[in-house]
Amino acid sequence: MMVINVKNLVKRYGDLIALDHFNLQVQEGEVLGLLGPNGSGKTTAINCILSLLKYDKGSIEIYDQPMAPDAYAIKRNIGVVMQNVAVFNELTVYENIDYFCGLYISDKQTRKKLVAEAIDFVGLNDFTKFLPKKLSGGLLRRLNIACGIAHKPKLIILDEPTVAVDPQSRNSILEGIQKLNQQGATIIYTSHYMEEVEQIASRIAIMDKGKIIAMGTNEELKRMIKSGEHINLELLNAEDLDLEAIKAIPDIISAELSDNQLVVTSSRGKNNLIVILDQLKAQHIAIGKVYSEPPTLNDVFLEITGKELRD
Amino acid sequence: MFLFNYAYRLKCILRNRELMFWTLMFPILLAILFNLAFSNIYSTEKFIKVNVALVQNDALTANPAFSDALSKMDDLFVVSQTTLEEADALLKENQIDGYIIFDPELKLKVNRSGLNQTIIRGFLDDFLQSSATLVTVISENPAALESGTIAGVYSRTDYLSAVSASKSSPDTTVHFFYTLIAMTCLYGGFLGVNEVIAIQANLSDVGARINTAPTNKLTVFLSSMLAATTIQLAELLLLLAFIVGVLGISFGDQLGYIALACVIGSLTGVTFGTFIAATVKKSEGIITGILIGSTMTMSFLAGMMSADIKYLVATKMPILGYLNPANLITNSFYALYYYNTPTQFFINILLLCGFTLLFSATTYFILRRQTYASL
Repeated sequence: MMVINVKNLVKRYGDLIALDHFNLQVQEGEVLGLLGPNGSGKTTAINCILSLLKYDKGSIEIYDQPMAPDAYAIKRNIGVVMQNVAVFNELTVYENIDYFCGLYISDKQTRKKLVAEAIDFVGLNDFTKFLPKKLSGGLLRRLNIACGIAHKPKLIILDEPTVAVDPQSRNSILEGIQKLNQQGATIIYTSHYMEEVEQIASRIAIMDKGKIIAMGTNEELKRMIKSGEHINLELLNAEDLDLEAIKAIPDIISAELSDNQLVVTSSRGKNNLIVILDQLKAQHIAIGKVYSEPPTLNDVFLEITGKELRD
Repeated sequence: MFLFNYAYRLKCILRNRELMFWTLMFPILLAILFNLAFSNIYSTEKFIKVNVALVQNDALTANPAFSDALSKMDDLFVVSQTTLEEADALLKENQIDGYIIFDPELKLKVNRSGLNQTIIRGFLDDFLQSSATLVTVISENPAALESGTIAGVYSRTDYLSAVSASKSSPDTTVHFFYTLIAMTCLYGGFLGVNEVIAIQANLSDVGARINTAPTNKLTVFLSSMLAATTIQLAELLLLLAFIVGVLGISFGDQLGYIALACVIGSLTGVTFGTFIAATVKKSEGIITGILIGSTMTMSFLAGMMSADIKYLVATKMPILGYLNPANLITNSFYALYYYNTPTQFFINILLLCGFTLLFSATTYFILRRQTYASL
């Protein structure tokens, strides 16, 4: 079942085109990672989908119904975790979750149960009476998530929920998101951290300049590009290296020397390790460590746009 | 949803220390400062009786009319009957302003000149003049003694009399407390700003979250407004209780009208805040700055810093007074305190209702737009 169907969405801020004929389809039960550098249009797309922002052109359907500010039946099934922590500083952890859950669930007893489950889910049991200002950055992010998911939505939209979060809390958040998906929720997860998206997304959409420039599973995306694995070699006498001779090896896309680290990228499906080692031996270059890395989403982004994902 | 949101908004407002300071503690502190500043304002004008000594001797005994006249001036003089030596000692020690002695003529002895000495001198001159007139009239026309016309020599007739147009005696200081109440009403605007920011997606993150929820925004807004008005009204009543009960400032005895003025004033203040927050498309800091600036300007023009400004506006540009909610609130309390009829009070209240409607309608038409051009 199609959960979200966005067609030809155009959003302009004056002369700037924030979304340029943006299309997105999300299937029920999947975790869609929306990956792109800062300013690529991820948050704008999310805000349009949530009917927070006006858009100039296009259509948005959620659960086969047109999305609108007063589409309360649709909104009832959506949970949102904003990029910025959106809680009331005057309310305790418990009260914040109860308040935002109460915007969806009016029955007090049901809400009490859901709030307790949300607190348990994000691991804030010891902090229920704390005010937000007493929480660390990681705990605050967890509270932000609890406020968005306490009402058990079928569709959860998380907009960069791990910004400025320590690694331990980040792992906890990512595990939580996977658990929500296992419980049946469809998830849209925006981030500019490719590792996060690779870790949790069943399908990835890469955005740049308001458009989706590539979409598929992690493997599908990496198969779209011609570069294959990166071979990293530590050279003990790098000053004697003839780099041009390495670059001349067939199927080598690039060879770069930085300090004593040589990074050689081969075409996809080609393994040049033996040839490279032979060439280095011929040049009397002593080798320290050798390891290889598979291509990353950054390589995908780099090859499609000509720039780094984190530029 | 209405009561649920109302209860949580009450909690949020009551726990917001900064908000509570500006809307409750700050007006109370100002009231205390006003009271300290005005407590001595009339003491300099209060008349203190003149201390005078009357030297006892045979000449005085021979002029009982003088003793009699002096004793009738007890609202002007505190008279001590002394010997000459005692009078000299008292004068030396500045215990008296002067002493009167028949030696054998009526004489006044002082050791410096001043208002009190002039008062004694004035009394003596008046006595001497009246005595001389009586002696002349009696010696030249003894029949006048019997006809009663001689009474006109020493009687005084007032041809002017003061008639109060109000039921209360004029007190210029109460005006400052009324403007303080007006300022407090308009400081309810802070609460209005707070509530609009909390539900507007382009002004706060919680506003964005609320806008994604399946709730009617107008319902949330109205219950938030009711919470803000409840707090504002409670704060205003606390301030009134403090000013009346602790500082002893009178607001008249028409409790129903006072309550009505408080309710309408609170509504005007809160909706003024929502109006500013909804119409000014700027950050929270700028919105708050505009609110403070406009509130203080209105209070200034209503005479909070100087009553002359209020008079100046009323005489040179009266329309400005009718367009100033702070002035209207001040005048409402003023009318209750001074005037015998509620006409002036209701004119002010109706104008305030007009402002409240204008602010509310503008806020509604802006807030009902549920999507934003930018966030």
